[in-house]
Amino acid sequence: MASSQHEQVLVEEKSFARILTFNRTKQLNALSFQMISRLLELFLAYEDDPNVKLIILKGKGRSFCAGGDVAAVVHDIRAGGWRAGANFFMKEFTLNYLMATYSKPQVSILNGIVMGGGNGASMHGRFRVATENSLFAMPETALGLFPDVGASYFLSRLPGFFGEYLGLTGARLDGVEMFACGLATHFVPSAKLPMLEAALCAVDSSDPAIISSIIGQYSERPSLKEQSVYNRLDVIDRCFSQKTVEEILSALEREAVDRREGWISTTIQTLKKASPTSLKISLRSIRVGRLQGVGPCLVREYRMVCHVMRGEFSKDFFEGCRAILLDKDKNPKWEPSKLELVADSTVDSYFSKVKNEDWEDLKLPARPKFNLPPYVIAKL
Amino acid sequence: MDRAYQRTRILTNHLILNSPAQTDCLTSNECLSYSPPELSEKYAFDVSEMRRLMDGHDVEERDRLFGLIIQSKLFNPRVRGGKVFVSPDYNQSMEQQREMTWKRIEYLLERGVFGGWMTGKGEEVEMKRFACFEVLGLFDHSISIKLGVHFFLWGGAIQFFGTKHHHDKWLRDTENYLIKGCFSMTELGHGSNVRGIETVTTYDSNTGEFIINTPCESAQKYWIGGAAKHATHTIVFSQLNINGTNEGVHALIAQIRDADGNVCPNIRIADCGHKIGLNGVDNGRIWFDNVRVPRENLLNSVADVSPDGKYLSAIKDPDQRFAAFLSPLTAGRVNIAVNAVYQSKVGLAIAIRYALTRRAFSLKANEPEVLLLDYPSHQRRLLPLLAKIYAMSFGANYLKMLYVRRTPQSNKTIHVVSSSFKATCTWSNMQIIQECREACGGQGLKTENRVGHLKAEHDVQSTFEGDNNILMQQVSKALFAEYVAAQKRNKVFKGLGLEHMNKPCPVIPSQLTSTTLRCSQFQMDALCLRERELLNRFVADVSQCLARGESKEHAFNTNYQLAEDLGKAFSDRAIFQTFVEAEATLAAGSLKDVLGMVRSLYALTCLEDVTYLRYGYLSVDNATAVRREITKLCSELRPHALALVSSFGIPDAFLSPIAFNWIDANSWSSVQH
Repeated sequence: MASSQHEQVLVEEKSFARILTFNRTKQLNALSFQMISRLLELFLAYEDDPNVKLIILKGKGRSFCAGGDVAAVVHDIRAGGWRAGANFFMKEFTLNYLMATYSKPQVSILNGIVMGGGNGASMHGRFRVATENSLFAMPETALGLFPDVGASYFLSRLPGFFGEYLGLTGARLDGVEMFACGLATHFVPSAKLPMLEAALCAVDSSDPAIISSIIGQYSERPSLKEQSVYNRLDVIDRCFSQKTVEEILSALEREAVDRREGWISTTIQTLKKASPTSLKISLRSIRVGRLQGVGPCLVREYRMVCHVMRGEFSKDFFEGCRAILLDKDKNPKWEPSKLELVADSTVDSYFSKVKNEDWEDLKLPARPKFNLPPYVIAKL
Repeated sequence: MDRAYQRTRILTNHLILNSPAQTDCLTSNECLSYSPPELSEKYAFDVSEMRRLMDGHDVEERDRLFGLIIQSKLFNPRVRGGKVFVSPDYNQSMEQQREMTWKRIEYLLERGVFGGWMTGKGEEVEMKRFACFEVLGLFDHSISIKLGVHFFLWGGAIQFFGTKHHHDKWLRDTENYLIKGCFSMTELGHGSNVRGIETVTTYDSNTGEFIINTPCESAQKYWIGGAAKHATHTIVFSQLNINGTNEGVHALIAQIRDADGNVCPNIRIADCGHKIGLNGVDNGRIWFDNVRVPRENLLNSVADVSPDGKYLSAIKDPDQRFAAFLSPLTAGRVNIAVNAVYQSKVGLAIAIRYALTRRAFSLKANEPEVLLLDYPSHQRRLLPLLAKIYAMSFGANYLKMLYVRRTPQSNKTIHVVSSSFKATCTWSNMQIIQECREACGGQGLKTENRVGHLKAEHDVQSTFEGDNNILMQQVSKALFAEYVAAQKRNKVFKGLGLEHMNKPCPVIPSQLTSTTLRCSQFQMDALCLRERELLNRFVADVSQCLARGESKEHAFNTNYQLAEDLGKAFSDRAIFQTFVEAEATLAAGSLKDVLGMVRSLYALTCLEDVTYLRYGYLSVDNATAVRREITKLCSELRPHALALVSSFGIPDAFLSPIAFNWIDANSWSSVQH
């Protein structure tokens, strides 16, 4: 039965299904350390519980989950040093890995905002259900961070160079676009969600084929809006396949001359407003992530995020949080301020081990060696 | 319905029986399950660091190119076992394969991959170009050969044999593929012996034109990559006959097709037809029927003909003139050697990953079956080859650096080293791929699993751009010349790594212990000893022939066996040296420790060569000790096998289904129905 209304994660047990609901509506269900710990605990327990065959994840209110609670992280770092921040991400990335390699299907109902850490808590699972209310973004570069939570794995595997586009610009997608590009596995109109949920709760199997066909019964194949960027994948591929951020920008500028389409100038403006350091490390991260399994992606992202928290090479993350989350002047002063001032060697540094005595690489939790479902094995 | 039920039941069993206490043995399932090696094998060293050492340069450039390939539909991505794999559809007709190869090149061109390849200069550009070739070669041999002909042979000929006006006129257009070049050297009647080609060029001073002619059928240009379909221009090698004097082999530019792809007048082109591999390359044959080209089309860095028809050359010696013409082939040889190493990496990564997931036979009844790689015999088959490929990677990196830092003084060294490494790496590649194919059993036969198919695709490497046997003979001849020169001038040996000849002959201890066998100084001594002794013996035998009044050529021909052994000894020692140098750059730690074991395994595998017993460099007891140590090293390297092949940095998509979840890749649900 439903747990206490004060809990940040509500738990319902329905036959072989477990429904976990983010319940922090004021913060648009932003993930707190407490929520992450709770999810980790529940997922670990459910894995060994033969009475659990399916996990449903959803959010209360108009948001699935708006991201990690970055404001709290910054607060913790100010109080307790960068290690406090690192601990948050260590826990979060561990959860991301567990979800990515989970032996039972996770169905995330993305009926609202799903951003940053919210994507980390859903995209790695087997099923992602979008609705007409879905609103996707990985907006980290505007914050002086980079698409983390395993985004270098799931963004890089989107068609063409759409992942680079989403990760660098933080562009927003609606539910139809999410489904079209593969971020969502299904599109279900929100009106049908209660029926879908009921049907899922009646399932007594972990077979993805069975679960997929159940969701399929409530799904639609909606068509993209004519002006959707996903219809411009050819242009996105041409530009975002370029070698460097600088070259991506000049490719976009060339396209802007050839075709006067609003989204291109918006894209250019967004890139120019984002942290130059963030853009460069994000591009590299996605490119490297494309060739790595989900585990190595998270280990690498953890290294990167520790460097960001330490602020050794750039303090853009703190400046971004100040300008966007705290002072809300929306006018961050990035340092270095221009792309050409960010040296390749600085970018390299973000991918190296953190030189700190008791720092360690992210330790991925052990996974069963046998009988992981094939869709999990394929991600390793 | 039955099937669905059965599948559900099996899956359910998998999940329910998934006991929390994990052991290394199979649980009592109804059927085998695939256990990913990533979850059971440990990495004792930083794989990305090892990869940087192995690739040596341009890692980001490589990754970007890998990404460009994986993300494009043109590279035939297929999903098997939940993973995407790219490789050409070799079941397409020859014509379709050629068109796809060309479309892929156009895509890479649009993405700016070839930027600076012709117009850029310097070490950095050339190393980056090598890196790109390595990546493209991992996708498909045809695309790398098709590009290699255009850039390295056609473009290289213009760069090396041409002068400023050729560079200005052709290089930019070559880089942008406004023209498509090919390289007409080989003829039906003459391959390795380029000096014997029969195509003739004369000069008409009335019109200021050269006239190129194919005088007989054996003079038809043969195997010309790009000629059958796409090339618009070619470099033509021919005997230049000026006023009745044959000035030897020279190179000219001739157009063979117009911009619309129509064959030019007085040119006849035929297809070489279907081949055992490389069908994405349109090899053709060309006949020239008194084709006229302007005087400026002579690539005149070595020699020129004045408007009134006088032959002019700064190099008077026709031998030297000829040698100058062959230098661009060196870049091709470097490329082939390096490419061969990367193909072996694909084979080994696939075979070793498969051996870490495939089981066969139980030791006792009711016990789980044993992983292939846990059999000492299987380790013995694959791990020495793995060590060899590590060694050859360092050799290839050394060769690339030698090439891009070339000076007029280093030409000889480059020629000798590239010849020997090309022969060694390509021969090893065929041996390695064959072993890997067998190690994969029947799965190795499926084209989609790559390892078997690579054999057909890369067989050509042992004969093109210099037949391996002939290259090795040239190496021995060069070593002979070094020896004679040092003797004559009573000077010390300098260069080609022969400095060890100046020192006293190393002594091999009569009782080899494990410690000695793993010591790099001992390993180097043993390799130097063999090279030194074989060189002495070769020189002595050839000199004896000469003393009997035989010609030098005849003397070399009769001593071909020693020449072969010597060429191999030189190559093994030179490659080992690059390994030792690479190892020396590392700080103490687990990476260096593992690499040290790999180095020992490589060295001892070299010492197992029959020459050591044939000529008595090792006693029978010592040879036995070497063999025993190899077995030990194999078992010690077994736990690092996955990390060592992961360090190749080859993305999963460039391996094949049997390297991953081969059960799911073959499941009924994956069948199109």
